[in-house]
Amino acid sequence: MTTQQFDLMVVGGGPGGYVAAIRAAQLGFKTALVEKEHLGGVCLNWGCIPTKALLRGADIAHTLKEAEHFGFAFDNLSFDITKLVQHSRSVASKLTHGVAYLMQKNGVTVIDGSASLADKCLLDVEHEGKVTQYKATHIILATGARARNLPSIKIDGDRVWGAREAMTPTALPRKLLVIGGGAIGVEFASLYNDLGTDVTLVEAEQRITPAEDADISALAEKAFVQRGIKVLTNSIVQSLDTSGADTVALISGPDGDQHLEFDQVILAVGITGNIENLGLESLKVETAKGFLQADGFGKTNLAGLYAIGDVAGPPWLAHKASHEAVICVEKIAGVDGVKPLNKNQVPGCTYCRPQIASVGLTEAQAKAAGHSIRVGRFNLNANGKALAINEAEGLVKTVFDENSGELLGAHMIGPEVTEQIQGFGIAQQLEATEHELAQSIFAHPTVSESMHESVLDSLGIAIHQ
Amino acid sequence: MTNEIKPINMPKWGMEMSEGDINAWYFAIGDQVNAGDDLVDIETSKIVNTVTASDSGVLRAIIGATGETHRVGALLGVIASAETSDADIQAFIASNTSAAAEPEAATEVAVPVAAAIETAPLATSQAATSQTASSQTSNGLSKLAEGEDDSLVAASPVARRLAAEYGVNLNNIIGTGRHDRVSKGDLEAAVLAAGGRLIGNSLNKANGEAQFGDDSHIKATPVARRIATQLGINLLECRVSGDRGRVCKADVEAVAALKNKMPAQTGGSAAAGISNTVESQPISGMRKTIAARLQASKQTAPHFRVHIDAEIDALLEVRKQINNSNTNAKVSVNDFIVKACASALMKVPAINVQFDGEQLSYFSNADISVAVAIDDGLITPIVTDANHKGLVEISNTTRDLATRAKLGRLKPEEFQGGSFCISNLGMYGIKQFDAIINPPQGAILAVGAGEQRPVVKDGELAVATVMSLTLSSDHRIIDGAVAAQFMSVLKGYLEQPATMLG
Repeated sequence: MTTQQFDLMVVGGGPGGYVAAIRAAQLGFKTALVEKEHLGGVCLNWGCIPTKALLRGADIAHTLKEAEHFGFAFDNLSFDITKLVQHSRSVASKLTHGVAYLMQKNGVTVIDGSASLADKCLLDVEHEGKVTQYKATHIILATGARARNLPSIKIDGDRVWGAREAMTPTALPRKLLVIGGGAIGVEFASLYNDLGTDVTLVEAEQRITPAEDADISALAEKAFVQRGIKVLTNSIVQSLDTSGADTVALISGPDGDQHLEFDQVILAVGITGNIENLGLESLKVETAKGFLQADGFGKTNLAGLYAIGDVAGPPWLAHKASHEAVICVEKIAGVDGVKPLNKNQVPGCTYCRPQIASVGLTEAQAKAAGHSIRVGRFNLNANGKALAINEAEGLVKTVFDENSGELLGAHMIGPEVTEQIQGFGIAQQLEATEHELAQSIFAHPTVSESMHESVLDSLGIAIHQ
Repeated sequence: MTNEIKPINMPKWGMEMSEGDINAWYFAIGDQVNAGDDLVDIETSKIVNTVTASDSGVLRAIIGATGETHRVGALLGVIASAETSDADIQAFIASNTSAAAEPEAATEVAVPVAAAIETAPLATSQAATSQTASSQTSNGLSKLAEGEDDSLVAASPVARRLAAEYGVNLNNIIGTGRHDRVSKGDLEAAVLAAGGRLIGNSLNKANGEAQFGDDSHIKATPVARRIATQLGINLLECRVSGDRGRVCKADVEAVAALKNKMPAQTGGSAAAGISNTVESQPISGMRKTIAARLQASKQTAPHFRVHIDAEIDALLEVRKQINNSNTNAKVSVNDFIVKACASALMKVPAINVQFDGEQLSYFSNADISVAVAIDDGLITPIVTDANHKGLVEISNTTRDLATRAKLGRLKPEEFQGGSFCISNLGMYGIKQFDAIINPPQGAILAVGAGEQRPVVKDGELAVATVMSLTLSSDHRIIDGAVAAQFMSVLKGYLEQPATMLG
């Protein structure tokens, strides 16, 4: 049998892979996509989307709790977590079908199976014990990443959940230990706290969301503590004893060691790239710390091989993967004006309550990079809309280069800030200075007026504080 | 200067372009056109390019209607001020069309100029009211276009994009933003001050369906006219292939087929049982070019062929070593052939030539065209300076060119020219074939598949991987002995690849 040949093959059907396949097909490549499990990848099936569906349930729980403040009273409130999980799964399934439709619409051949490189430009795809070989001039690896284990603590799916198990619970945990205060950890801590679980959050660094600006982390921790989440920073979970009915965790922190009991543990200490069983070693494809090495357009050291998305390194975000997909394919096709990924322009969003969103450099990073900076701050407790909706806890912080006026970074915590960060992203892409932003008219009453005030504050002319 | 009449001619993109198809006009007759505006899309051999206006004024006449093919230099339209009289326009067109080439369709009897041309009576011209401005327009706007590289001028992204569209050099715009940055407003004010019109105000631009005027004056056969009416086809859209310069039934049906307005014709009238479906369509610009060029080549260049076999076992071994030792290399046998040809062309420069029938041009470097099969034809992207490139560079360049060739994303300079051509059908298992010279080049190499064959060495029968190579040469400029010498040098390089390094 002759080997089937494609111009471009993508391995992995997540937000990196399927976007690459669509863009390639649009440009006229004969394109195939290999997926071993579900189209849509982690994002649609086990990440972004299903967690947002669960967090909507958390929002409702929170709203119900404060309903009394707005004059409502009710008895016999009940909650069935399986229904919430059902909602989350149905959304994931709907979107997966949507991706399948998009593949069909764009004429992308979808191949089921696990792919590995047999040689340069040659892919073996194994499906139900049968191996088929395909030839492709260009192969893009978008195999994604998975939750990392600790040497002493591993996800077992029972006592210790990874993200997958944490988003498909059959019952609500009583006492939950979340190990890891990054984006995934704080989202689960926030979710389960709102649903009524007693949550302890442990972070090894000195603050939760350590990648965010220090002011944002501080406010997030304050809000979490106020909500009754126990936050242990500078702390490490040394071991878990699962011999008893409850899991006993040995946690060392600034105040020494303590043994705490939990009925459930979530491990969220970062991720590692899916680089195994791809045939990379024998072809000497460069990897580092569990991720593929690629240039600004996704090209690896191997002729005809590209890597995008989580497997190509941080930031591990779906929209970064999708963006890399487009620039990688457009670069191959010779589209004019393709620019390499600028990691400072990738926004990051964390969907805890209050939400966190940021783009660019933190204040500390900007200083460390040698910028002389101008910083603007605006607290949401002076924002009319935030007060009206009773969510006035929050901050918008802007960091500008004092000389060029460039928006180096923007950092937000508060209600729906994940929907607002795009405003700063666009300003950054268009290289607007603080003056263009100051001259822009922001609608009233909105939470995003705080973005404007933060910019004005950087110029020392904030109106409402 | 108000009476100056400016012609719009079929441009010549590349030395091989002899004609172009009119794809779409961006303006209708009577529209104000500014220098630098996109005027008309022309389809040539392999690309669609846009002719931009070199002058400002009113588009007074369109001679090259959409769908027509015109020779290079042919008059396609006329730009003049609104004041210029219709009579002057007609006279200008008459004097220019009789001198220049006629549309291809009117081979026998030239279509009377007046009938083929749509002109706008002055009274109905939309631009009549802006007569005074239009005379200044070209001057003012062309001044805005002058100047040095403006990439360092401070300008907002929007202003920079608009400047490119208006053809304005940002050095000529006074910025009023912070730090004198040029804003969109600054740019538009300057364009208006220079008598230009703002982009976005012309509703007719890019209006999908080409606009055609009254076709009642077009000569057509009665059948053609009735079918055209029934199918809603304007006779101005149709080529003219009927006798006495008339649009005939076939011409209307060709346009209908293009627009998918006709049910698929079934050929063979009532042949019982067997229906052999025939689908007729006008051929693409690319196919037309391939047809014309290869026919011309075969007719004008006396081809002769020399054939040689090369043993490539050593080459395959070197290839394996390179590909195993260098992760960023995926060198193919064809890449070796490109490299070997480049080296051989340096040794036998009499093959590295172009000949246009009169002049013989020798090239100092080997610009090697590599034939790539694409969906609806073939294209020959060029590996330039192949004699100066290493194997891996040749390989990566070829992969990039072939990728973009299939996507239709090559720039004209990437496939026009070349001093030698290679056509390789080895991947289809073809043992040996002859190729037609790609004019104005002097020779082409046809490469077959490398396959194991019995060979006799020192009186013993042995097995070797052998590849058949055939060179077609233009005997007007390349003699048999020269071709033979080239092939022998080429064979040497392929059989002992290390000698290419010297």
